[in-house]
Amino acid sequence: MEWSSWYSIIFNFILMVIACLVVAGIGLLHVAYLTYAERKIIARMQQRLGPNRVGPRGLLQPFADMIKLLGKEDLTPSGVDKPIFWTAPLISLVCAGTGLALIPLWSKFVLSNINVGLLFILALSALSSYGVILSGWGSNSRYAFLGGLRASAQVISYEIAMSLSLLSVVLMAGSLNLQDIVKAQLNTPYKIYIIPQIVAFVVFIISAIAECNRTPFDLPECENELVAGYFVEYAAMKFSIFYLAEYFGMIVMSALAVTCFLGGWAGPFEIPYVPFFWFLVKLYLLLFFYIWVRATLPRYRYDQLMGLGWKVLIPVALANLFVTAVFKLIL
Amino acid sequence: MSWDLLIFYYLAIVMIVSTVLAVFSRNPVYTVLLVLIMIVHQAFVLLTLGSDFLTAVQLIVYAGAVLVLFLFVVYLINLRKETQLNIFIKRFSLSFIIFLVSMFFLLKNLGVLVALKPTFPAYLPFDLEKNSNTWWIATYLFTNYLLQFEILGVILLVAIFGVVFLIRKVREVG
Repeated sequence: MEWSSWYSIIFNFILMVIACLVVAGIGLLHVAYLTYAERKIIARMQQRLGPNRVGPRGLLQPFADMIKLLGKEDLTPSGVDKPIFWTAPLISLVCAGTGLALIPLWSKFVLSNINVGLLFILALSALSSYGVILSGWGSNSRYAFLGGLRASAQVISYEIAMSLSLLSVVLMAGSLNLQDIVKAQLNTPYKIYIIPQIVAFVVFIISAIAECNRTPFDLPECENELVAGYFVEYAAMKFSIFYLAEYFGMIVMSALAVTCFLGGWAGPFEIPYVPFFWFLVKLYLLLFFYIWVRATLPRYRYDQLMGLGWKVLIPVALANLFVTAVFKLIL
Repeated sequence: MSWDLLIFYYLAIVMIVSTVLAVFSRNPVYTVLLVLIMIVHQAFVLLTLGSDFLTAVQLIVYAGAVLVLFLFVVYLINLRKETQLNIFIKRFSLSFIIFLVSMFFLLKNLGVLVALKPTFPAYLPFDLEKNSNTWWIATYLFTNYLLQFEILGVILLVAIFGVVFLIRKVREVG
């Protein structure tokens, strides 16, 4: 190969690494302030004050938490299966965070614009269940194991409903590429898919909450039965990696909902120099919704959770898919 | 050596090593994990062959669903006795016969195996410049292979009916 082509390869590689680092850094910052926002909003809804000691209005609280978690002693219980115990949090984090690379943040920026972006995000969320199952098994503890089993059953069940609800979007857009899905939405009369696909949107949001193991579906980490669920035995940095993965998962799922149902980066009018403005507004609204749900709803019982998934969400999503297909054929 | 070939050899070596380790591993959970590594690398082989759709499907179906079910099975059945069993055949005569037979087939097909060389870009019967991979697969599936596709659907439906029937019987008895 010639030198010039080598230079271009290396240059592109470095550019890509920098872009990835920027996106990951912004994602981490969002995760940090999502924890702060969650604590503040829930405190407000429960008539408390929430964190207000570190920095003005407690704004530096996430960093204080981070330093505390980093400074703690990293305990490894004696009975654990070490290789699995160590890799499980990493699998969780990688599978949750990689999804960010596929989301088109605005019309000209997406880290990896692949043709099957939507399928790839589904694949990543399918793989993320390994982190939960393996941490439960590797911990060699009853509570963790039960939490892991519950989590895997839950994730597998709700993935079906989620995929089916996204399939109707794919049918309408005629593409699996996330950028093409947004562009197809902009060509429809309503500009967003939430109006014709409101059923799919509701199913998607419910199953996304279940995928991220958030209240009211946080059975895997149900405090009053399982102490903390699959990560009881984890401490310090490894514990915080699970937390990071959970919040990354929330962000990726919300971003996916914005991309597939709410019109992505498009808004009622253009904001000069801030092309991702509307994307972020919609993302923050959905994240607020997540937190709102957590503060409002009580936890489901396990059989109710499975019943909701298999007997309500999957049939509804299937029927919606069928109706969408029929409309697509007629129109 | 080109990049493609380097990546292919990496993927191939990891696949072979993880499969061998999976066969010889005593811990069933490790076996499933090694198979997971193998399947993920297999998905990337499909990616290097230019088939992004199959990569995603491989990850979703095999890594995301089938292997999770395997893990469930490993968790739910008691494998204490099986993990203590010998993985090698102790009797020399029997193992020697098996060795001879497998060597015979290996040597018989050695010429074919040596002649096989990875070609880049891979041979694909359709034009990826014109339409995406997904489009071509869907077109072939719903035109040339429609009958097979429908038969597979019916078989899966029968399996679902079977499961429902089994559960109904359990409920009536219990």
